[in-house]
Amino acid sequence: MRDRRRSHRLAAALTVSGLLFGTAACGSGSGSARAGDPNTLEVWTRSDPDSAQTYKRVFAAFTKKTGIKIDYQPVMNFDQQLQSRASTKDLPDVMINDTALMGSYQAQGLLKPITPASIAGHDEITAQSWSSTVGRDGRHYGIPYSRQAMTLFVRKDWREKLGLPQPKTWQDTLALAKAFATRDPDGDGKKDTYGMVVPGSAQNGYVAWWGASYLWQGGVRILEKEGTGYRPAMDSAAALRTVTWMKKNLFCGDNGVIQPSALTSVTANTTNFQDGNAGMYLTGPYNISTFDKALGKDKYEVLPAPAGPAGNDVLADGENVYFGAKTGKARLERTLAAFLISPEGQTLAMTGDHQPVVRIPVNSTLDAAKVRHDPRWSVVQKAYETASVQFPNAPDFAPVKQDTADALNAIFTYCGSDVRSGLKELNDTLAGDLKDQDLLK
Amino acid sequence: MTATVTTPGPRRARFLSKKAVLPWLFLAPGLLLALVFKFLPMGKGVWLSFFDVRPFLGDKWVGLDNYTRVLTDHRFQDAIGHTLVLGIGMSLGGIVAGVLLALLLEGQARSLKIIRTAVFLPVVTATAVVGEMWRLMYYPTSDGLINSGLGLLGLGPVPYLDNPDTALWATMAMGIWMLAPYNMVIILAGLAGVDRSLYEAAAMDGVSLWQRLRHITLPAIRPALGIVLTLAAIRGLRVFTEVYVLTGGGPAGSTDVWMTRAYTLGFSRNDIGGASAASVLLLCVTLLLTVTVNYFRKRGDVR
Repeated sequence: MRDRRRSHRLAAALTVSGLLFGTAACGSGSGSARAGDPNTLEVWTRSDPDSAQTYKRVFAAFTKKTGIKIDYQPVMNFDQQLQSRASTKDLPDVMINDTALMGSYQAQGLLKPITPASIAGHDEITAQSWSSTVGRDGRHYGIPYSRQAMTLFVRKDWREKLGLPQPKTWQDTLALAKAFATRDPDGDGKKDTYGMVVPGSAQNGYVAWWGASYLWQGGVRILEKEGTGYRPAMDSAAALRTVTWMKKNLFCGDNGVIQPSALTSVTANTTNFQDGNAGMYLTGPYNISTFDKALGKDKYEVLPAPAGPAGNDVLADGENVYFGAKTGKARLERTLAAFLISPEGQTLAMTGDHQPVVRIPVNSTLDAAKVRHDPRWSVVQKAYETASVQFPNAPDFAPVKQDTADALNAIFTYCGSDVRSGLKELNDTLAGDLKDQDLLK
Repeated sequence: MTATVTTPGPRRARFLSKKAVLPWLFLAPGLLLALVFKFLPMGKGVWLSFFDVRPFLGDKWVGLDNYTRVLTDHRFQDAIGHTLVLGIGMSLGGIVAGVLLALLLEGQARSLKIIRTAVFLPVVTATAVVGEMWRLMYYPTSDGLINSGLGLLGLGPVPYLDNPDTALWATMAMGIWMLAPYNMVIILAGLAGVDRSLYEAAAMDGVSLWQRLRHITLPAIRPALGIVLTLAAIRGLRVFTEVYVLTGGGPAGSTDVWMTRAYTLGFSRNDIGGASAASVLLLCVTLLLTVTVNYFRKRGDVR
C-alpha cells in the first residue's frame, strides 16, 4: 500500500510539473520560436481560405527571391485576434488589412510610422494613394497595397429580357429593381426574385459601409474636416434628403426592391445575387471571381454606380500594409513591402485561380484591366480614380462607422420613425466619438 | 487505505504533513488549469475595466469611467431588457419543454433511446451551425422552411428576424430548441429516481394524470429542476452566440443583448476597457443571481 501511494504521489507530481511546463510553453506565445528567427517575418492578413491561397503564392515568390522566410497567418476574425496579440505586447511583424482601420490602430499605438522614401519603388505609388495613409500627426502609418471602389453588378440577361436600359440614375435603379421583383425575369413563373441585394445589418458596421456610396451620391459626408479636427455632418439637409430617399424607396418601399432579409444581412450571408435570385448588387470588385464561378461571365455586367442628386461618387477602400510596433525587424519588413508594391508582387496578387487580393493595383505602372485581360476591371479602376471618396483615414473611424451603422439600421427598420430625429441623435453620438479622440471642432 | 484516511489524525497535525499535502497535490492539476485559464484572465478583465486600454502606449487609469459610460449608454440600457426577456424566456421555455420531453421520452424501449439521442443532437451541435440552420429556416420568404409550412396553411410569409417586434422571440425559440434537450437529460435522471411503487399506489387510488404529476413526479424531480434552473439562469444572461449568429443584435438593436453589446464595444470599436467593464458587471449580476437561486433552493430543501 505504501508503495502504491508513493507511485500515486509520483504520478501527481509528474502531472503537475507537466502542466506547469505546458502552460509555460503556451504562455510565451505560439509564434515565439519562429518569431525568434531573425530571418522570418510573421505576416497576418484578413483573408478567407480562398484568398489566402493567393497570398501564399505571393509570399512563396518573395521567399524565393529574397531568402526571407514568411510565417503566414490568414486570420478571419482579424481584429479580435489582433487585440489578444496586442495584450501580449507581441504583434505580427507585418499586417495587411482594411484602410479604414489605420486611424484605429494608430490611436492604439499598434503601428510603426513609415517613411515612404525608405520603401524601394515608393515613387510608383501615386501621391493620392500615399495621402490616404497619413495619420493624425502627419506621419505615414501604412503603405497602400490594394484599392477598390464600389460598382454596380447587374444581371445582364434579366435586364435585356425585360428590355430595360442600363441604370444611370437612382430613378433608373429603382425602376429596374421593381421590374426585377415583379416581372419574373428568371421566367420560372414564380415571384421569387428581388431587385437589389443589401447587406443592411449593423454588425461590424456593414450598413454604413454599403450605404456610404449612397450618402456620397446624395452629397453627404459623415464627418467634415475642419481645421485640424472634424465635425459630424449627419444632420445636414443633404443627409436628411438622402437617408429619407433610401428609407422610403429601398427599405420601406415596394416588396422585393431589396431582398427581404436585408436588415440582418452581412456580406457573408448575402448570397442572393450569386444564388441567382436578385438582380443588382452595389459592392466591391472582389466579388467578380465569385460571381464568374457562380453565375458565369456572360450573365452579369459591371457598371459604374448610378448617379444620385450630387453625382456618382462611391465608397473607395482597400488594404494597406502595416508594420507592427516594436517588432525590431524593420529592414526585412521594408523589403517585403517593396516586393508587395512592385509590379511583380502586385501582378501575382491580382491573378491566379483564387480570389485576387489586389483589386486595383496601387502601382501606377499597372492597369487592372490589362493585367487581368478583363475590361470589366477598367470600370472599377475608373470609378476609383475619378469618382470615389474614402472614409477619413486620420481619425479612429471604427466607432464612427459602428455608430453610423447602428443609427442607419434603426432608421431603416422602423418605417414609421422620424428620420430627422434619428439623424440628429446620430450626429450627437458622432460628436461624442470625436470628442473622445479630441478631434471635435 | 480508506481506514487511514477516515481515522482522525493527531490533534496538532504538522502544517505540512503528508496527509495535508496529498489532497492538494491531487487537486493541483485542476486548480492550476482553473487558475491559468479562468481566474487569471478574470482578474485581468477586472483590472482592465479601470483603464483606457492601449497596450502599446501604456494603459491609462480612468477609474470608474468605463462603468459610467457603459451604464449610461442607452444601447446598453436597452440590452438589459432584451437580455432579461431572452434569458428568462429561454430558461423557462427550456425547462417546460425539457420536462415535457423527459416525460414523453422516459423509458427503456429501444425506440425511445433512439428518439432521445435524436432529440439530444442540438446540444452537441455547434451553436454557430445551429444559428445558420435557423437563419435558413426563418428565411423571410416562402423559400424558408417555416414560411413554406405557413404557406401550406395559407398564411403569408413572416419576416421573423427582420421585424424588430418578432426578432427577439424568434431568437428565443431557437434558444429553447437548443436548451430543452440538455434539461431533458438532467430531468430524466431525476425521473429515474422516482419510486415506481408510488405510481402503482396512485394508479390503485385512481388519481388523474395531473394529480400524479403534481404530487409525485414534480416533488421527486425538484432537485433536478433546481440544478436546471440555476444553469439556465446563468446561461440565459450570458447568451451571445445564438444572437450573434442569428441577427448580430439587429434589426435596429432589437435583439442586442448584454454580451453582443460588450463584443461590439470591444472588437468593433476597439474599446477593450469598456468591454471589460461591461463583462465585469455581467459577472457580478450572474454571481448574485447564482447565490440567490442557491439560497432559495437550500431554503426550499430544508422546508
